[in-house]
Amino acid sequence: MKKLVSLILAAMMLLSMAGIAAAEEPFEITVMVPEFTLDVDYVEENNPVLQAIEEATGVKLKMLFMSNEGYGDNVNTTLTENNPPMVMAVTDARDPSIINSARAGAFWDLTDFIADKDNYPYLAAGAPAVYQNIAIDGRIYGIFRSRAFPRAGIYYRLDIAKEVGFDREVKTIDDLTELAEKLAGYSNDTYALNMCSYYAGTINVITVAMGAPNNWGIDENGNIYPAHKSPAYLEGLNWLRHLYEIGGIDPNFATIPTSEWDNIERTGKAFMRFDCLDNTHRQQEWFENNAGVTEQVFQSVGPIAKADGSITVWPQNNGFAGEILINKKGVSEEDLPKVVKFLDWCNGPEGQTILNAGLEGLTYWVNEDGYRYVPEDKIDEAGMNSKMYVHDMNQLGMGVPGNLENPPASVNRGVTALRERYNQLNIELAPYAVADPCFPLISQTAVDYGAQLSPILTDAAAQYISGIISEDELRGEWERWGETGGDKMTAEYNEAYHASIAQ
Amino acid sequence: MSSKAEDRLALHGSGAVYWHKLASEVRRDRWLYVLLAPGVIYFLVFKYLPMFGIVIAFENYVPFTGVLGSEWVGTKWFNSFFGFPAWTTYLANTLILSVMNLVFYFPAPIILALMLNEMRLQRYKRLLQTMLYVPHFISIVIVVSITFVMFGPSGIVYKATESVLGYPIKYMGSPDTFRWMIIGQTIWKETGWGTIIFLAALTNVDTQLYEAAMVDGAGRIRRLWHITLPAIRSTIVLMLILRMGSMLDTGYDHLILMANAMNRKASQTLDVFVYQQGIQSGQFSYASAIGLMKSIVSVTLVVSSNKIAHLLGEQGLY
Repeated sequence: MKKLVSLILAAMMLLSMAGIAAAEEPFEITVMVPEFTLDVDYVEENNPVLQAIEEATGVKLKMLFMSNEGYGDNVNTTLTENNPPMVMAVTDARDPSIINSARAGAFWDLTDFIADKDNYPYLAAGAPAVYQNIAIDGRIYGIFRSRAFPRAGIYYRLDIAKEVGFDREVKTIDDLTELAEKLAGYSNDTYALNMCSYYAGTINVITVAMGAPNNWGIDENGNIYPAHKSPAYLEGLNWLRHLYEIGGIDPNFATIPTSEWDNIERTGKAFMRFDCLDNTHRQQEWFENNAGVTEQVFQSVGPIAKADGSITVWPQNNGFAGEILINKKGVSEEDLPKVVKFLDWCNGPEGQTILNAGLEGLTYWVNEDGYRYVPEDKIDEAGMNSKMYVHDMNQLGMGVPGNLENPPASVNRGVTALRERYNQLNIELAPYAVADPCFPLISQTAVDYGAQLSPILTDAAAQYISGIISEDELRGEWERWGETGGDKMTAEYNEAYHASIAQ
Repeated sequence: MSSKAEDRLALHGSGAVYWHKLASEVRRDRWLYVLLAPGVIYFLVFKYLPMFGIVIAFENYVPFTGVLGSEWVGTKWFNSFFGFPAWTTYLANTLILSVMNLVFYFPAPIILALMLNEMRLQRYKRLLQTMLYVPHFISIVIVVSITFVMFGPSGIVYKATESVLGYPIKYMGSPDTFRWMIIGQTIWKETGWGTIIFLAALTNVDTQLYEAAMVDGAGRIRRLWHITLPAIRSTIVLMLILRMGSMLDTGYDHLILMANAMNRKASQTLDVFVYQQGIQSGQFSYASAIGLMKSIVSVTLVVSSNKIAHLLGEQGLY
C-alpha cells in the first residue's frame, strides 16, 4: 500500500514538473496603488487593458487598489506582511516609517538600475535633481512620480481687479501690494486674499517672492539656515499683517478647512490666492461650467521683481508626488531586473498611454490630427470602460522622462488661453524658482520631532499676521523653536549638507 | 484567625490533599468553570497576549524586520522623550486639563443625580433622564462642529458677548479659553450619562431613613446631607479612584479637533504627542514607549489612591 502511494505521488510530481516546463507562465507582478475611483468596481477578468499589457511586456499585471483615505496607514501595515505586493506606490516619500524601512533594507536599491541607460532608457532619463530629492542616505530606492517643478504661484480675479481700477500686469511687489489693497477695498463682506488653515503655503509663496529662502537657505559661508532667519521672511509676514489690518484677509483664516479653499473663490468671497498655478485654469473652468462665464475671469501672475529689481519666484516643489517602491520580501534578486524592466516600460510611450488613457477603441479614439479624443456619442461608454478597466492604473504612471503619451491628449476647449499661459509660465519661471536645499537631506530631529516643531513656526506666523503677538513675541517663538530642537535640526542639516557636498 | 488562613495552613501541610480536593471541587463545579472559560479566554487572547507587543517600546521597531527582528534599543525612547525640551509643556498641559476635569466635571454628574433624585413626578423624571443621556451618543466631531457654529466668530454666542462686552472673546482662538471650552464640552456631553451610576446607588437608600428623618423634623438639605450623600459616598470614592487611573488620559481626538494655530499651545498633551509620533510620523516604538509610561503612572495612581481610601476607612476599589 505504502509503495503504491509513493508511486502515485512520484508520478504526480513528474507530471506537474512537466506541466511547468511545457507552458511558460507569464511573469506575474502585483502592484498596490491608492484608489480614487470608488463608484465603479475594477474588473480583472477578461480585462482588455491587462491583456494589452501582457501582450506588450509578457507581464501578468495584478493590481491591488487601496482607498486613498488612510493609504499611508495601509502602506505601514503592508510593510509588516510576509507576502507583500511586489511593487507599491507610496504617497509620502519622506514618511519616517518609509525612511526607517528603507534603512532596514525593506526595499530594493535601484541606484544601479537607474544609471543603466542601455537596459532602462526611460528610467535613466529622469531628472537627476529629482532622483536626488528622493534618495535616502545617497541611495535611490524608489522611482519618483513626476510633477512639474515651479507649480506654485499667484493668481487673482481679473474682472474684479478691473472693477477696482487695477488694469495692468503685475510685474513688481509694489504692483502686487497695490492690487491687494484695492481688492481689499472692494466690499465689506469680501476679502482680498484667500487664506485657509493651510496658510503655511501662502506664507511660503510671499516670503520667497520677498527674497527669503524656501524653508531653508544657504548663507554666504555655505551654511544652512532656517527661512525665518532671513529679514525677507519678516517682510513677507509684514506684508500679510498689513493686508490683515486693512481687512484684506478673513480674520478666521487659520480655522478655515482646506476643503473650503476653492469654495471661497467660487462664492466670490475672496479674489486672490497664493497657491498652485494650475489652479488658475481649473477655477476658470469651474466658472465657465457652473457660473455661465464666457470670458477670462482669472489671471496668473508671472515673474515679479522686488524693489532692487531682482526676481525670486516661486518656491519650487520637489518635482514629484510620492514614489514607486519594490518590496524585497516580494521579489527575489533574479526576478528584480524583470520588475525594473516593467517599470521602465510603464515610463515609455506605450506604457504611459495605456496606464493613463487606456486603449484605442475602448476608452479613446484618434482624430485626423493624431490627437486622442472621445466622440460625443461614446462619452458614457468610454467613461465606463475607463473606470472598469483602467480604473486608477494611472497611479502607477510615473512619467519619469516627461509626458511621452502617444497619441497625445487633445487640447481642451474654452480655457486654452490660460492653459497655454500656464505651460509658458512653467518655462518662464523655471530659472527663478527657489529650491529647498534640505529636502534631499535627513535630520534625525526632523524625523523624531517634525510633528511637534513645525507647528511652532506656522502658529507663530498666523498669530503675528493676525496681530495677536508683537514682533518681539514672534522672535521669542522663533527662539523657542530653536531651543525645542530647531537649532539641533539646523546643525544636523548642516552636517548632512556638507557631507553631501564633500562626496 | 480567619477560616481562610486556617484553610491555607492545612493545605500547605499536605500537597496531595490540596490537589485531590481541588480536583474534586473542579469536578463538582465543572459547569461553572465552563461558564467561566469564555471570559478567561477573552482576557487571555485580547488583553494579555497583545501585551507582548509592549516590547516594541524598547526596540527600534521597523515593520520590515518585525517585532522579533528589530534592533533592541533599551530605554532609548524614554531618554529621547526626557531629552526633548518641550516634554514638560506636554506634561503640564495634560495635568492642568486633568485637574480642571477633576474639579469641574467630576462633581457635575453627582450634583445632577442628586437633583434628579429630589424630583417628585416620576414620569417627568424619566423623560428628563432619557433626554440627558442623548448628548453622550453624539459624536465628538458633531459636538465640536456645533461649538464652532455657536462660539465661532460668526456664531450667536460670539456675537452676543461682543455686543454686551463691547469687545469679542475669542472662544475658539486663544489658549486661555481652549481648556474651558474642552471642559465645557465634556460637561455638556457626559454629565447626563455620568448620573447613571449615582442614580443606581441612590435607589439602594432605605426609604425608611427618610421617613424617620422627616418625623424628626429634618428638612430637605439636612436629609440630603445626612442620608443621601453618606449613602453614595462609597460610589463617589470608587469613581474617584477610577478617575485617578485616567489622570494622564486626555484623549487626542477631541483636542485635535478643537486645536488650531491660535490655541494649539494649550492642546499639546501626552495623548496628542502619542498620536503625532505614532500615526502622523509612523514612529511606533516611540509612541508605544510614551503610552507605556502613561500606563505605569496610571496603575501607580490607582493603587496608591486605593490605599489612601483604605486608610481613610473607605472600602475602595478592591
